[in-house]
Amino acid sequence: MNAEPRKINLEQWDREYARLRAAGMTEPVYGGPLSRHVADGDTRLLKLRYDNSPAALRLWNFLLTEEDRLRAARDDGKKLVGAMKDLGTVPVMAYSLDNLVAFYPDGAWWIPCVMELNTGLLQIADSLGIDESFCPVRAMLGAFITEAHFPLPDLLTCSVGATCDDFSAIAQRLNGLGHPILWWEIPHRRPAENGEQAVTLPGGFSAPQSQIDFVRSELSRVKAALEELASRSLDDDTLAAGIAKANLVRELLAQLRHLAFTAPLCPMPALEMLIAEMLAIHFCSDQDETILVLTDLLAEVTRRVAAGTGHLPADAARIFWVNPVADLQAMNLLEDCGGRMCGTEYLFAHALDPIPTTIPTMEALAQMALADPMVGSAFDRAARIVADIRRFGAEAVIVSRIPGASHCALEGEIIGQVVRETYGLPVLEIEVPSITDATQATLRTRLEALVETVKDRRER
Amino acid sequence: MTEPSRTIVYTCPYVPAEWIAAHGLQPRRLIPLPTDGATVAPRVEGLCPYARAFANDAAAENAAGIVVTTLCDQMRRVYDLLARGTRTPTFLLNVPKTWQTVAAQRMYLEELKRLGRFLVRLGGHAPSYNELAETMTQHVGWAASAISPVHDASVPIAVVGGPLMQRDRILFDLIEESGGRIALDATETGRRGQRRAFDRRRLTENPLMELADAYFSIPDASRRPNSELYSWLKNELTQTGVRGVVFHHYVWCDAWRAELARLKEWVGLPVLGLDSDGHDETDVARLRTRIRAFLEMLQ
Ligand code: SF4
Ligand code: SF4
Repeated sequence: MNAEPRKINLEQWDREYARLRAAGMTEPVYGGPLSRHVADGDTRLLKLRYDNSPAALRLWNFLLTEEDRLRAARDDGKKLVGAMKDLGTVPVMAYSLDNLVAFYPDGAWWIPCVMELNTGLLQIADSLGIDESFCPVRAMLGAFITEAHFPLPDLLTCSVGATCDDFSAIAQRLNGLGHPILWWEIPHRRPAENGEQAVTLPGGFSAPQSQIDFVRSELSRVKAALEELASRSLDDDTLAAGIAKANLVRELLAQLRHLAFTAPLCPMPALEMLIAEMLAIHFCSDQDETILVLTDLLAEVTRRVAAGTGHLPADAARIFWVNPVADLQAMNLLEDCGGRMCGTEYLFAHALDPIPTTIPTMEALAQMALADPMVGSAFDRAARIVADIRRFGAEAVIVSRIPGASHCALEGEIIGQVVRETYGLPVLEIEVPSITDATQATLRTRLEALVETVKDRRER
Repeated sequence: MTEPSRTIVYTCPYVPAEWIAAHGLQPRRLIPLPTDGATVAPRVEGLCPYARAFANDAAAENAAGIVVTTLCDQMRRVYDLLARGTRTPTFLLNVPKTWQTVAAQRMYLEELKRLGRFLVRLGGHAPSYNELAETMTQHVGWAASAISPVHDASVPIAVVGGPLMQRDRILFDLIEESGGRIALDATETGRRGQRRAFDRRRLTENPLMELADAYFSIPDASRRPNSELYSWLKNELTQTGVRGVVFHHYVWCDAWRAELARLKEWVGLPVLGLDSDGHDETDVARLRTRIRAFLEMLQ
C-alpha cells in the first residue's frame, strides 16, 4: 500500500487518500481526507507539502482533531486540565489519572499560522493590551475569550519563575480577566555551590538537591489539585504507571529522531518530525493514541531506512534547528532550499529524555522540570545543543527567532558563539513570523546561502 | 596602588541593601544613566533598554561584585552576559515569582543566605544577628524620589510602572512643568520599590527573617499572582487623592507592558500610557506634548 516517499500537496493528498482507501487502508475514528480541515478554517494546510505515507496522514489527522477529542472527553464526564508553560511535566501527572485529560492552551501559538490570521485571535489579544511585542502565544488569550479552539479547562496550572516574560505576563492577564490559575514555581537552575549536594539531571544539566526539593514541593501542590479535581488519589504506583507510559512515548520519539536525523536518506520530512516531537509534551489529548500514531510513524521510517528510500538528495546540507517555527511552512522551505533536518531543539529537549524510574516518582518529575533547557542559562542550553550536534552530525545551525519572544533577544548570539567556538560550524539566525509569505524570498535566499556554505565547506 | 573596591552594585528592589552593608560592604543601587558604548550588552531588537543599560553600567563600575536577580527573564539573561563578559564576580539571586506559599518565602530567605556566602567570598564578613539588627536600624535604605510639594492649582498625578533610568526622570519635570504634581511615584525606582518599615520587635527576635519578609513583600507586576500590586496601588491612590495616572514602561518589558490595559480597566482614572526605548533623545518634544495634553484634560 505504501508508495515511494514523496512530498505532496493537499490536492494530491486527496487523490492519494482515495487510492489508499480503495486499497483497503483502515483509519481510526478521527481519520479522513486532510483537506476537510480546510473547511474548519485551517487554510495554511493548502500551502504546505506533506509526506505521502498513511502514517503521516494519521499524524496530521490526530493533530488537527484535538479540539473534538477535548470536547468528547468533557462529554464523557472527564475533567480537563489546562497545563500552561511547563512543557512536559504536569500532563504526565494528569494522564496518570484516567478521568483527567490535559492539554496545553499554549498550543494556540500555532493558530495564527494554521488559520492564516483569519481567526481574529491576535486582534483580541491586541485589544487586551497584548500586542506584537509579545510572542505568538498571545493568541491563547483570544482562544480563551472566544472558546472556539478549546473548551475552557476545569483546572488551569502555570509554571512561573524561570520562564519567559511573555508567557508569564499573558497568563497573568488571563488571570486578571477572571480565570483562576494555580501558579507553581521552577527557579532558575544553577550549579551546586561548595557544600551543596549536586545532582545530574536527565539530559545532563546539574542542579543542587535543594532546588529539586523545592520543585518537588511545588509539584506536590499541583498533584493535590489534580487529585481534588479527579476525586481520587494519585498514589505512587499510579504515577509510576503514568511515567512508564510517558517514557514509552519518549522512547518512540528517540528512535524516530535517531533514524530521521542520521539515516543516509531523510526518511521523514522536517514538518512531520516537528509535529511528532510536539506529541511528547502534550499527547494531543490522548496518550494511548499518541503511542499508536508514533508507532506507525516509526514503522514507516524503519521500513524506508531498511529499503534505502527517503526524501531529498543524499548530499542535502545537514542542519540543526533551534526553536520552533511560528510558520510551519518554514520546514518545507528548508528542504526546498537543499537543507535536511539533522537535529532539533524546540525549547523542550527535556521532554524527550526518559523520566528516571529508579528514584521516587515526584523526585523524578521535579528533576525533569528542572532539566528544562529554558530554565537555566543560555550557555547551558547551548552546551546541550552542541552535544546534540555531535550526536546527529549536523553541518550548520539555524537559530530561528520567535517574534516578540523575550528569550530570543540574547540567546541566539550566545548559542551561535558557543557553536562557532566548539565546532566552527556556520550559524544562521533568522526570524520566522506566523505567516512568512511576505518574507519568504529573503528567507529563501538566506537558507540557500547557508546550504551553499555547507557544501563549499565539504569541498575544502 | 588603589584600594580594592568594597562596593556591590545591584538595581533590583528585592536586593536588601542592609544585608550587603551588614557584611561590611557598600551597597550601591545602580540606576543606569545609561553610559555610552556597550561593553557587555549590545543594542539588539528585543532587549529591554533598562536591562541593557544596567548590564553595561554595572560592568563599567569598579565594583567588588554585581548582584542581578531573576525578577524578569531579561535580567536573568543579562546575568549570562555579565558572568561571561566581565571580571567582576556576579551573583544571580533567585527571587521567587510566587509569594503566597511558605516554600517561596523560605526560598527567598535561603537565597539571601546564599548571597551572604557570596559576599563573604568577596571579602565581607558574616554578620551576627546583633550586627544585622543594628545595620537594619541605622540604614536609611533606598532613597526614592521626593514627592513634589503641594501647590494649590496643581493636579495630583501618580507615575506607575517599572524602573526609570536617570535620564527618563525627565518625565517628572515634564509633568510638573505642565501643571501636574507627583503625588505618588509608583515606579520600581520610586516608592513602590521600597520595602516596608521594619517591625522593631521582629527585628530584635530574628532580624534576617524580618529583613526577608520586608523585602519579599514589595509589590511588583512580575509576582504571580500580582494582586498585591493592585492592593497596594488602591491604598496609595486613595490616600494621595491622585486624579490621573501616567504609566511608563520600556519597550520589550513584557511584565509592565501587559499591565497597562489591565490598569486602565481597573483604576477608574484617566491613564496616559508611555513607553520608551531608552535611546531616543528626540522623544522629549513628543513626550512634552502628550503630557501637556493629558494634564490640560485633567485641569
Ligand atoms: S515561544 Fe518563547 S516566549 Fe513564547 S511562550 Fe514559548 S518560550 Fe515563551
Ligand atoms: S524594565 Fe522590565 S524587562 Fe526591563 S529589567 Fe525591568 S522588569 Fe525587566
